[in-house]
Amino acid sequence: MLRRLLLALALLLLVGVVRLPFETALQAEQRAAGFHAARVGLDLRQRLGQTGFLAALSGCRAVVADLLCIEAYSAWERVEWGRLNWLFETASSLQPRALFIWEMASWHMGYNASRAAREDPRWKLEAQRRRAERQYLELSRGFLQRGIAALPNEPKLYELLGTLERDKFNDPLAASVAYGTGATLPGAKGYLRRFSAYCLAQVPGREVEAHARLRALYDLGPQEHLPTLLKEMRRLEEKLALPPEQRIYKDR
Amino acid sequence: MSTAAPLPAHRLFSPARVGAIARNTLTELTRQKVFYLLLLFGLLLIGSSVLLVRFSFQDQFQMLKDISLGAMSIFGSLLAILATAAMLPRDIEERTLYTILAKPVPRVEYVLGKFLGIAGMLACALFLMGLLFLLILFVRERGVEAEMAASLSGDAAALAAQIETLRAQVFHPNLLAAGLTIFAKTCVLAALTLFVSTFATSQIFTVFIVTTAYFIGHFQATAREYWQAMGGAAWSKAFAGFVAILFPDLQIFNLVDEIAVGVAVPLALLGKTLVLGGFYVLIYLLAAQLVFAQKEL
Amino acid sequence: MTPAISIRHLSKVFPVPFRRERVVAVEDLSLEVAPGQVYGLLGPNGSGKSTTMKMVLGLVPPTRGQVEVFGVDADRVESRVAVGFLPENPYFQKFLTGTETVAFFGRLAGVPKRDLRDRARELLRLVGLEEAADRRLSGYSKGMLQRIGLAQALVQEPRLLVLDEPTAGVDPAGSRDIKDLILKFKDRGITVLLCSHLLAQVQEICDRIGILHRGRLVCEGPLAELIEKRAQTELVLENAPAGLLAEIEAAVGRHEGARLLHRRHPQASLEEFFLTVTGDEKKP
Repeated sequence: MLRRLLLALALLLLVGVVRLPFETALQAEQRAAGFHAARVGLDLRQRLGQTGFLAALSGCRAVVADLLCIEAYSAWERVEWGRLNWLFETASSLQPRALFIWEMASWHMGYNASRAAREDPRWKLEAQRRRAERQYLELSRGFLQRGIAALPNEPKLYELLGTLERDKFNDPLAASVAYGTGATLPGAKGYLRRFSAYCLAQVPGREVEAHARLRALYDLGPQEHLPTLLKEMRRLEEKLALPPEQRIYKDR
Repeated sequence: MSTAAPLPAHRLFSPARVGAIARNTLTELTRQKVFYLLLLFGLLLIGSSVLLVRFSFQDQFQMLKDISLGAMSIFGSLLAILATAAMLPRDIEERTLYTILAKPVPRVEYVLGKFLGIAGMLACALFLMGLLFLLILFVRERGVEAEMAASLSGDAAALAAQIETLRAQVFHPNLLAAGLTIFAKTCVLAALTLFVSTFATSQIFTVFIVTTAYFIGHFQATAREYWQAMGGAAWSKAFAGFVAILFPDLQIFNLVDEIAVGVAVPLALLGKTLVLGGFYVLIYLLAAQLVFAQKEL
Repeated sequence: MTPAISIRHLSKVFPVPFRRERVVAVEDLSLEVAPGQVYGLLGPNGSGKSTTMKMVLGLVPPTRGQVEVFGVDADRVESRVAVGFLPENPYFQKFLTGTETVAFFGRLAGVPKRDLRDRARELLRLVGLEEAADRRLSGYSKGMLQRIGLAQALVQEPRLLVLDEPTAGVDPAGSRDIKDLILKFKDRGITVLLCSHLLAQVQEICDRIGILHRGRLVCEGPLAELIEKRAQTELVLENAPAGLLAEIEAAVGRHEGARLLHRRHPQASLEEFFLTVTGDEKKP
């Protein structure tokens, strides 16, 4: 029987040599299709501990990521912002293909943590408050940017990035670019294109382009003639002092 | 009865006998307590869906899917290893193996029949877990629909559109692909366990070996990358290569994590993955038969 | 005629793992079992009986020598087409009913599917388990398990039955039944290889015996010849008056060399006595 066992092992080794190239190719193909997306390195082992690391590697990556998110929720309740960030860092590197983790992470950093930092009574000076707030905003932007790298075809992430740039960083150009990129993706909501144009309208020096984009939207039909659009067009018409034939408001 | 009469005809390989052994194994397994694991699965799902209520319903569905598919993968693997490891020792201890092999049954039919019985049990268990999962998903989804209807009262078209999106999100046909890859992985594990149990001296030894192979099988792709990244010494590369050749790469069957978050599986890719699973099963059964054919009982 | 079992120079040596020693279970064993014979293979525990039987059934390959069953090498699966085997203390899957168990083994032995149920019923009737046919085996007593074992061994109408301690752990009435069944098989022309260390039982049913001791066949032959005391003669008289007995004794004394050894009343065997006392519980 020992001879047979050695024979069987020899068979396994032989077959192993044969299957290895096929497996490598298949794995590459799976990666190309979006699978095995986690960045599983030894640093992850330090983060997750032995048990979590084993669980994550044996087909429960998604579950471990979820558990980290649930833990993050508790961290939020206890207002432990540093831990919250760490948990989302880990969860998102485990499961970079999960939209909801990026969304949750950027929302917590950009809207909860940044706000809390701003109102932190430890800071006496306004400059200190701003610096603390900005740190969390940068973290939020970082999550969205990494999310976009992992899910380049997800308009939702561009929308969130646009909103963050617009409302928190007060950077209408960056916001416009983010909204605009999102608008070109399949499955994008219709308002992304409008938002992109609105934001561009706020960028000094880009008024002509902004007006052209608003006009293009306007020309799509009456369903696009929304109050904000009309208001912005009017403002730009005046600012650019357009000749009447290029205006939609010809009262002046 | 005349003793001079020639022996009745005997078929060298009989699907009927294999089928009888497979059915017998399946009945034996299903009447054992393995299905208490399903109860645990149900409790886990219900428990976790309670834990998840604080999240938005989209996130809840997502996590419910992750947890269910993860639990199916883990429970399926456990079932495959534990049930298979116990099988051969029990048949020997209870002497049913002697009674079966004293009939004109080639040993290859026994190996094949046992494996098919296990595979049938795994299919049943995964199917039931999947059903339970869908049921809970369905109940939750209907609940959300009702909430939507309450909050959007009036706008029938908008409501219909939202419900449409919700249903498409929740019940994705990709879930079937996830189930199939899990089944493939558990079958590979069962075949490997059967092989190990043909030469193992005890059940614990079998479970120990296969569990080790399970972790190495999931870990080796990562380890390989790590070693490659280190630019490592020749010996470490050689060792990684040896491990890759000897142990199965189980990570290749782990598509559930991404399937759960909606990554589509191209049919050709699914096909290739399942074919690879079948190939592994075939090789392990062949190895099992090689050893078992000469085993002294 | 082809012998039912033919064993020639058979040896089995088991290596002891991780040691240099070896265990010799069977050494240079040769014997033949003619068709229709009831052959008793006797020996103390560890004498090589079970190993020999396993080699006959192809469960263990011989180290040296050859075993043939109806002319087919025991290594080949075909050799078991006409063989029924009852293992020692048979233990079947508890969750099956009697009928299901017999049907399962019938399927393995190649009984056509349509005949399975009838065949199972018939066999269960033969071994006296008709009433328990649809009960799960978890509720069976040891004796009932032994009988179901016998039923499954008979399922494909084998020409050779191999029975390992068929009455171990069975009460006397059940043991008697099994003995009667074996005699019935013999009448139907079935060859039986019986392994046992219950000598009284072997004596009642076997035509020929072989005695194994430490792996060697120490004695082999027709049972009657082996145990006959040729120099002695027994007379059993009924209602003989004291005078007649005295005359016989006197007559014996007149012959040179002849000697009366015992004068006693014959005794029933304890088994006979036990069965008479518990007689009304016994099935007809």
